Amino acid sequence: MELPRYKIFYERSRRVFEFNSVGPKGEISKLIRFTKMRVKGVFNLAFGDKKPGTNEIDDEVVSNNGDTRRVLATVANAVDMFTREYPSTWIFAVGSTRPRTRLYQMGINKYLHEIVKDFEVYGLIDGEWQKFRSGIMYEAFLVKRK
Amino acid sequence: MKKKKNNNDKRLMVEIDNSLEKYVDMPLFEEKVNEANRILSKVGLPKEKKKNK
Repeated sequence: MELPRYKIFYERSRRVFEFNSVGPKGEISKLIRFTKMRVKGVFNLAFGDKKPGTNEIDDEVVSNNGDTRRVLATVANAVDMFTREYPSTWIFAVGSTRPRTRLYQMGINKYLHEIVKDFEVYGLIDGEWQKFRSGIMYEAFLVKRK
Repeated sequence: MKKKKNNNDKRLMVEIDNSLEKYVDMPLFEEKVNEANRILSKVGLPKEKKKNK
């Protein structure tokens, strides 16, 4: 399934990606990074807005650039590229705020039937991982290529 | 000077940009990473079923 998404830029290791969100608030540069965790074989997925003129990334800002779906589809594309490079790794993801975690959840929910063709998806609830199911509010997510 | 990234170039939807390498080991999203490490050390990973060969 091809969803509208932004052109993505990446470096050799495919652990850092960048794209530009375009909307009513203008052009906003966004950075995605996969960070190696202490638990072997797990990377954390985080993304946020690049602060112009600095190397700082803000992952709490709400851009309101009217392109949430396209942004999430672009992040999903980065996950696809990353896991092709590192097929046996788990990706841990949680929103920087509860509403943002809910937004990720809605994104996974909407395309779950497509995602599960290629990925195992788990949600964290009450201190346990369970296979992702629609209609449950999870605290965090884990994804791995099948 | 760094070239401005062009979203409108539809020829390629992905493009390598090695200037991004500086972010690979830069301390970023530290609060989130610490929280993720805390959760994972507590709950671990899902138990995976062994695949039948």
